[in-house]
Amino acid sequence: MIPDQTRLAMTALTDLLGDRLSTGPSVLAIHGRDEAYSTPALPDAVAFPQDTAEVSAIMKICHQYNVPVVPFGIGTSLEGHVIPTHGGISIDTSRMTQILAIHESDLDAVVQPGVTRVALNTALRATGLMFTVDPGADATLGGMAATRASGTNTVRYGTMRDNVLALEVVLPDGTIIETGSRARKSSAGYDLTHLFVGSEGTLGIITKLTLRLFGQPEAISAATCAFPTVDDAVNTVILAIQSGIPMARIELLDDVQMKGMNLFNPDLNLPETPHLFLEFHGTSAGVKEQVDMFKSIATDFGVSDFQWASAAEDRNRLWQARHNAYYAAKALRPGCDGLVTDCCVPISALAECIAQTKDRIAASGLIAPILGHVGDGNFHLVVLVDPNAPDEIARAKALAADINHLALSFGGTISGEHGVGIGKKPYMAKEHGAAYALMSALKRAVDPKNIMNPGKIVD
Amino acid sequence: MHPTTEAELAQIIQDARAPLQITGGDTHRFGPAHGAALSTGGLDQISIYEPGALTLVAGAGTPLAQIEQMIAAEGQCLAFEPAHWGGILGRSGAPTLGGIIAGNISGPRRVIAGAARDCALGVRFVDGTGRILKNGGRVMKNVTGYDLVKLLAGSRGQLGVITEVALKLLPRPETTASLILRGLDVGQAIAAMSAALGTAFEVSAAAYLPDAGEVALRVEGFEASVVYRAQELRDLLGKTYADIDLIDDTASQDLWRGIRDVRPLMGLDGDLWRISVKPSDGIAVAAALKGAPYLMDWGGGLIWAVLPAGHDLRPALNGIDGHASLLRADDATFNALGALPPQNAVLAELTRGIAQKFDPKGLFQPQKAA
Repeated sequence: MIPDQTRLAMTALTDLLGDRLSTGPSVLAIHGRDEAYSTPALPDAVAFPQDTAEVSAIMKICHQYNVPVVPFGIGTSLEGHVIPTHGGISIDTSRMTQILAIHESDLDAVVQPGVTRVALNTALRATGLMFTVDPGADATLGGMAATRASGTNTVRYGTMRDNVLALEVVLPDGTIIETGSRARKSSAGYDLTHLFVGSEGTLGIITKLTLRLFGQPEAISAATCAFPTVDDAVNTVILAIQSGIPMARIELLDDVQMKGMNLFNPDLNLPETPHLFLEFHGTSAGVKEQVDMFKSIATDFGVSDFQWASAAEDRNRLWQARHNAYYAAKALRPGCDGLVTDCCVPISALAECIAQTKDRIAASGLIAPILGHVGDGNFHLVVLVDPNAPDEIARAKALAADINHLALSFGGTISGEHGVGIGKKPYMAKEHGAAYALMSALKRAVDPKNIMNPGKIVD
Repeated sequence: MHPTTEAELAQIIQDARAPLQITGGDTHRFGPAHGAALSTGGLDQISIYEPGALTLVAGAGTPLAQIEQMIAAEGQCLAFEPAHWGGILGRSGAPTLGGIIAGNISGPRRVIAGAARDCALGVRFVDGTGRILKNGGRVMKNVTGYDLVKLLAGSRGQLGVITEVALKLLPRPETTASLILRGLDVGQAIAAMSAALGTAFEVSAAAYLPDAGEVALRVEGFEASVVYRAQELRDLLGKTYADIDLIDDTASQDLWRGIRDVRPLMGLDGDLWRISVKPSDGIAVAAALKGAPYLMDWGGGLIWAVLPAGHDLRPALNGIDGHASLLRADDATFNALGALPPQNAVLAELTRGIAQKFDPKGLFQPQKAA
């Protein structure tokens, strides 16, 4: 049943948007779920605005009728962020895909929120510049900012937090604001840009982003290498970073994950022991120096089986394999689903946290490969479950909960990169204490009617 | 008031009924003097330093120098290169960690390593009701809700009193070198800095000293890499710029300490302004300064200028994306012009709404001088 207020809003929205307000069952279904495990829920309608003015007009209508609004990029979130749990209007930004400006001398780009990270990098190809944040999915930049996304090269270039310079945001009442400016340092008032980055659509809709760009490195070298134990791999990483090697990527894959990688792609044919996937960026001489230093550190920890890739094609193959890690994990148990965890701990606690995690996986009787952005202390489990076995799902959820509490006990966090959405809300009070109430108060200050993605992050 | 524990500080705030002036090392005041002083100087313990994890946790009142000395002994540094503003602001005292984070005070390396804000992994703070709160921690990434760390960093104490900060550290560069390009006007200087920052040679600072007509460009890192990159950069820029010198590690460190602390403008009478723009607008700002002494850092994105006392610079900058803050002036000028530029009505309303949640009693909000 669609509430009366929503019906009135939909009539007004149809006047505004014509057939760009959709109630088609397949369109509703696409906007009712994300890529992971949260229970789907349908919006009442999906709006496809083309510009900021339309987003503002949509918000004004929804504000007038108290209708919930959920911003939607491309639907690759992992904690149910885009699921309209309270119904209402899903605002899909997929028609806002203009790259508005690339300022080569200021090292920034201005884009609409529906531009994907790959599309931006394609447009940058001729400039010698690059946008660095690379989550597994080819997500939209608006969605990536809203969820404060990160990727495999965060250790060197930072997350969305570090790479969003300014935003244009439509507030819940339809007002359009600009936070920050293309000036590098925003000192006029609070850092509102970073309040909206990671706010998961609960404070407003991002309609324009100014993003930081980096010069493409002169030389890039990538490698995989094997270690006897996870401890050895982690200790190598710690020492490498501490020695000042400016690693661009350092990814850990445990023995179980490596088995999945080989099953998924037999050509890979790597030893099934813990691995690091690495990448070095710099000048030609600098990369060689970094590689030599890294090798000398890793040798002390029993490294073997270095496989190098310098040509772009070979490197892409290597990183494609890493980006396919989720599917590789699922190859360990065909027909299963993967429940992905996302904790992050101080890097000094990482080896111990992973060791205890492995004990708990063993105790659960489940298969759960581990992969991590170890330079950041962030690691994931892909807990493999039979979607038709309620008992297994319950055990997997219990294991995930266990890992979250373990991370908190090490002074860590329940989410290093996937966010809160619906899935992580139950842990927020434990992680934040009294500050969680302050977050709720902040939400009410910006969105007193609680129409912006209600039910996410805070109540 | 000089509390020595967080609980004591929280009690003072709980009991407070009138605006407070929060102080750290007293090197810098955000606007004019007002209200009873509440010092964080007693919260000066370094509670955790893990060189292996590149993290440090310390009380807000910890002198910056003490932290820098401790981490330097382990070959580490604060990537954002915190500035020491006491000298240029004509004040004594030594900067503290809390003041640096509350003011988001970052030096030349900001162009490549991010701001103070970006190095703050976690904060503990006391809000305007006396609640002790924390956000973030010692982890490098955290996406659990609103980023209060970033909101507090740079909020100038208006949302709460920061009591403790967890910092991300970086290995200290083994060596540095700088190129000095001579005989450049401001247009040439900005072109040279942009070109250098856009190369693959990882230029970690780019400044322009207009009086000398000099652009300084820094590279840092391992010895061999620094030698190589400095040479490559020199060869590249040599195609356009005739007069280029290379200075070594010691001279380079001196030079950048001076630029960091705005020493080239020290001893000049007048008000001190700090202007943030996008680098390509630096030329327009220089024109608007009409001959007033200035210094450019961050590739042209940060401009320090000394103007005649009481002169309002902001109208001359109208139409340029960015903003001008007043850092050193007499109380009458602060009252008349405001330390920060006025915000538009919508942002001001949003800001007020947020501040109200943190500080309902208005203890930390900007005041005019009596």
